[in-house]
Amino acid sequence: MLEFMDYVQAAFHAQSRWNRDNSYASLTTTAHHLLDFPIPHGLRLHVSSLSSPNFATSYTLGSQGVVDGSLSFLYTSLGLSIPSRSSAVHLGNLVQGYRHLTALRQPEVSRLNEVLRDGEKAERKDALLYGRLYLPTSTLEALYLRRISPARLLRLACVSDGTLPNGGSILAVLQNDFGKYSTEYLYSTDSALFGVRGLYNFGHDPRFPNPRSASRAPAHPWDHQGGRLSAGAEAYFSPLNKSGGISTGLRFTTLPTHTGFPYTMTLTLNPLMGNLSSTYAVKAGPNLAFCSRFDFNVYSYESDVMIGMELWQRQQPAADVAWATALLRPDWKRVEANANGVLKARVDNHGKVGLLWECRVKELLLSIGAGFDLKKTERMLGSVGMEVSYSS
Amino acid sequence: MAFNFNWSPLIADTDRVRDMLTSSLNKSPKPPIIVDDIIVNELNLGSTPPELEILEVGDLAEDKFRGIFKMSYTGDAYLTLKTRVQANPLNTYLSTKPSFASPQPLAASSGLTIPLQITLSDIRLSGFVILVFSKQKGITLVFRNDPLESLKVSSTFDSIPFVRDYLQKTIESQLRVLFMEDLPAIIHRLSLRMFSPEYQTAEAQEPSKDQTDERAPIDPFANPAQQPTDSFGQPLEGSAPFSLDAPTETYASFSQKNLLRLAALTESQRTLSLFTPSMRDTVYRAWASAADRNELSNGISTPLHRPTLSRIQSTHGSQSACSSSAPSQASETPSATTRPSLASFASAPTVYSLGSGAPRSRAGRKRKNRVVNLRKGKVEGDVSDVASVSSGYPESADRSATGSTAPSLEAEPPTFPGTAMREGEISTPPRSPRKKVGFQQPSDNNARLSAESGAARRPVTPRNNALAFPPEDDNDQTPRASMYLPDNRDHTPQAEPRPSRQRLTRMQTLPTRDKPPELPRSASDLSLQSLGAASFGTDGSTGGILEQAWMMKMANEIARKVAEEKGRRPPTWRGGEDDGEAPPAYVS
Repeated sequence: MLEFMDYVQAAFHAQSRWNRDNSYASLTTTAHHLLDFPIPHGLRLHVSSLSSPNFATSYTLGSQGVVDGSLSFLYTSLGLSIPSRSSAVHLGNLVQGYRHLTALRQPEVSRLNEVLRDGEKAERKDALLYGRLYLPTSTLEALYLRRISPARLLRLACVSDGTLPNGGSILAVLQNDFGKYSTEYLYSTDSALFGVRGLYNFGHDPRFPNPRSASRAPAHPWDHQGGRLSAGAEAYFSPLNKSGGISTGLRFTTLPTHTGFPYTMTLTLNPLMGNLSSTYAVKAGPNLAFCSRFDFNVYSYESDVMIGMELWQRQQPAADVAWATALLRPDWKRVEANANGVLKARVDNHGKVGLLWECRVKELLLSIGAGFDLKKTERMLGSVGMEVSYSS
Repeated sequence: MAFNFNWSPLIADTDRVRDMLTSSLNKSPKPPIIVDDIIVNELNLGSTPPELEILEVGDLAEDKFRGIFKMSYTGDAYLTLKTRVQANPLNTYLSTKPSFASPQPLAASSGLTIPLQITLSDIRLSGFVILVFSKQKGITLVFRNDPLESLKVSSTFDSIPFVRDYLQKTIESQLRVLFMEDLPAIIHRLSLRMFSPEYQTAEAQEPSKDQTDERAPIDPFANPAQQPTDSFGQPLEGSAPFSLDAPTETYASFSQKNLLRLAALTESQRTLSLFTPSMRDTVYRAWASAADRNELSNGISTPLHRPTLSRIQSTHGSQSACSSSAPSQASETPSATTRPSLASFASAPTVYSLGSGAPRSRAGRKRKNRVVNLRKGKVEGDVSDVASVSSGYPESADRSATGSTAPSLEAEPPTFPGTAMREGEISTPPRSPRKKVGFQQPSDNNARLSAESGAARRPVTPRNNALAFPPEDDNDQTPRASMYLPDNRDHTPQAEPRPSRQRLTRMQTLPTRDKPPELPRSASDLSLQSLGAASFGTDGSTGGILEQAWMMKMANEIARKVAEEKGRRPPTWRGGEDDGEAPPAYVS
C-alpha cells in the first residue's frame, strides 16, 4: 500500500500529466508490484492529512524493537484535488497492482490548456517539495520535483544522515518524455555516479498523430495495434569507483484496445553480469492477476523463480439496484465497483512465501502481512506486521 | 628450567579451531561484497612449530604462568577460506546506500555471486607475546605488537592483478585485526573449554575423556609423574594444553558443578536418603555422628578432597619457594572454592564471615564483645550441637585469631597481622593433607601416588619448615588449636560436661585421621602443643586480665595494620586468609 505522501506525489504526477510509465525505470512495474510488494514489519501507524490542496502532513509511529517514527510535510504549487479521506480514497490508487498502460500522449498537446493562465501564455512550472524526518535516527529526506517544461521533469532527492559518508547524498534526475521515447540523466553525489536511461517505443508515434493509425496495416512486425513494444537501456559509471553497470530491457504490453486479457512481458538483460530476467504477468480477470519471474545467470548458473498473484475483493452491488445492473447491456461501460481489499501472495523457489492483505475497515486502511520460510521448519514464520493508516 | 612444547597434538585438533575461526569471522558485520558466510575450509598448522624465546617469566606456579615470549614463525601453516562474493560493484555500492536517494537501476545492479576460495600461506610472524595462564581462567595470549610480517594470499582471482592486490591488502589488514583482537579471544575460549569443565559441553568433553583415559592415571597424583618436565608450574606452559586431562582431573573438584555435587554429597549424609552422588576418584567414608561432620566442615578437609588439597598445598609450597607473593594468589582461588565445597551450604557463609570478619573484627572493643558472644554461643550450643557449632564458629575463629595474636606478638609484633592471621585460619588445612597422605597410601596401595605425593611434598616441606617454623611456630600452633578445637576448647573451660562429650566425638575423628587416637581428647591439642611452644591453656584462658590487656593492645595494633593493609589491597581479604592456609600444612 502506498504511503500517503507517495499517494500525493502520484496525484501530482497524474495531475501535471506526467506519464511515469514511459520510463525505462518503470519497465517492470507490473512485476514489481505483484512480486516485490513490501511486507509490513511490526506495528505501524500512519496519520496523515491533506489539509489544503497544496499542503499535506503525515506522521508515522512504528514499534520495531524500539519506538520510532517520522514526520513528513509536503507542499505543492499545483493544487491537488484528490480524495484524501481514508474512507474515500480509491483503493485501486493506493494499492499498486497490475499496471495498465495507456496509449501514449503527445506531451505538448496535453499541456496546452494548462499553459494558458490569466489569459496569457505563461508556462506553469509546477513544483513539489517534500521533507521527512525520521526519529530517533535523525535521518532527513528531502525531495524536490519540478516540471521544468511540459516534457521535462527535474527530481532532486537528498538524504542527510550522520552515518553516511559525507553526511548524506544527493541524487539529481532529469527526465525527458517525448512520447515516442524518453531519456533520463542521473547524477549522484555519492561516489559521483553518472547514469543514463533511455526508452524507445516501437510503433505508433504520438507526435505525429495519424487519424487512420488504428486501422492502418502494421508497417512492421513490432507495430502491434493492441499492444506496445518498448526497448530500453541504462548505463551507470562512477569515475571514483571506476565501476559501472549496464542493462537492457524489452517489454511488450497490451493496450486497452486489446480485445483479449491484458498481459505484460518483459525481458531484461545485464550483459556484464550475465543476468537474464524475464517476467510474465497476466490479468486473468477483473479481480485477478498472476505474475511469474524467472532469473538466470549465465555465468554462475544461478536461477530463481518467483510466482505471485493478487486478488481483489470488490463491493457487491447493492441488492436494490441489482435488477438494474443486470439489465445493463454488456457493451455499456460500467462503473467499476470500489475495491474493498486486496490479497497479494508470492512464493519463490527458496521456499519463501509472502502474504499481504490490504483492506479498508470503516475509516481506516489496514495492511497486514506475513512472511514465511518453508525451508525453516522450526521457525517458519519470519515476520509479521500490521500497518494502520488514517488520513483526512 | 625446561619447556616441553608439544606442537603435534595441536595439529591434530584443528576442527574446533576451525569452527571457532569460522564463527569469529562471521560474527562481525561483513562488507557488503561478501554475500555468504565465510567458511574456514582447511586449516593446517604445519609441521614447523614457532620459535619461542623466553624474555621474561613473571609468575610461575603449577597452575599459573605469566611470561613474555619473543615469537617468530616461519612455518608451513596454511589456511583456506571459502565464501561467495558479489561481483557486481554497482550492487554492493547500492546496497549500502539509502534507497531514497539511490538511482534504483532496473537491472544494472543485478547480482552475480562468485564462489571465492582464498588460501593464506607462507605466514611469517614475529612479535612479542604475553602469555598468562591460570587453570581457572584459562590462557590469555596477547600480542604486544603487530605480529604479521608477511603473508601470501592466493585466490580464485589470481589472474586478475587488480583483484589480487586488493585481496592481498584487505586480507592483511583483516588478519592484523584478527591477530590483535580475535585470536586472543579464540584462544581464551578454547583454553576455557579445555581446562574448566563448566565450559565444556557434553560433546566436547567426550573426546577429551577418550584421549585422557588412555594415559590419564586414575589418581590425580599420578599425573605429575607422567609429565616429565613437571617441576613446579612449568609444565603448564607446554603440556597443560595438550595433556590437560590430568590437571583437569585434579582441579575438576573446584568447579561449580563439583561444588554442587559435593554439597549434595554432604547433604545426602545428613538425611536418610540413600542417594549418593557418584564422583570419580573419590573414597567415601561414613561418618558416625553429626559432630564429625561439623568437624569436617570446620576442618575443611574431607576425605574426598584430600588429593586436591594436598595438591594445592604442594603447589603452594613450590610457589612460596619461588616467590613469596605468589602463593597467596595461587592458593586464593582453590582455597576459596574448597571451603564452601567442604562445608555444607549453611555453614559456608559462616566460613566466609570468619575470613572476612576476623581481620576486620580485631578492633579491641569489638573483640571483647566477641568473646562474650562466644561464651553465649557455647551456652546455646548445649541445646543442639550443630547449631552451636555453626553459630559459634565465627566467634571462635575470632577468638582463635586473638589467641594466636597474643603469642605472635611476643615473637614478632610487626609481622603479626599478615602471618599470624593467615596461619591461624590456615591451620586446618595443613592437617588434612597429612592425614590424606597417610590414608591414601595404605588404602590405595598406589605406589605412584605415594611417590608423587611424597615428591610433591618433599621439596616443599623442608622449605616451609625452614621459613615458617622458627619464628612462627607459636603462632601456627595456637591458631590451629583454636581452629580445630574451637568449639571443644571453648566448651571445655567453661562448660565441662557438654564439651567433653563433643570433644570425645571430635577427638575420635581427628585422631583417626592423624594418628591412632591414644588420648582422644588431647590428641589434637597435644600434637599442636608439642609442635609449638605456645600453650594451649593461654588460648583457652582468654578471659584472664592479662590476656585481656594483651588482647586490647594487640587488637589496636591489628586494627591499625588491617587498616593499612586494606588501603594497600582492598579486595584480598580472602586471599590473605587463604594464603595462611597453605603454609601450616607443611609446617604441621
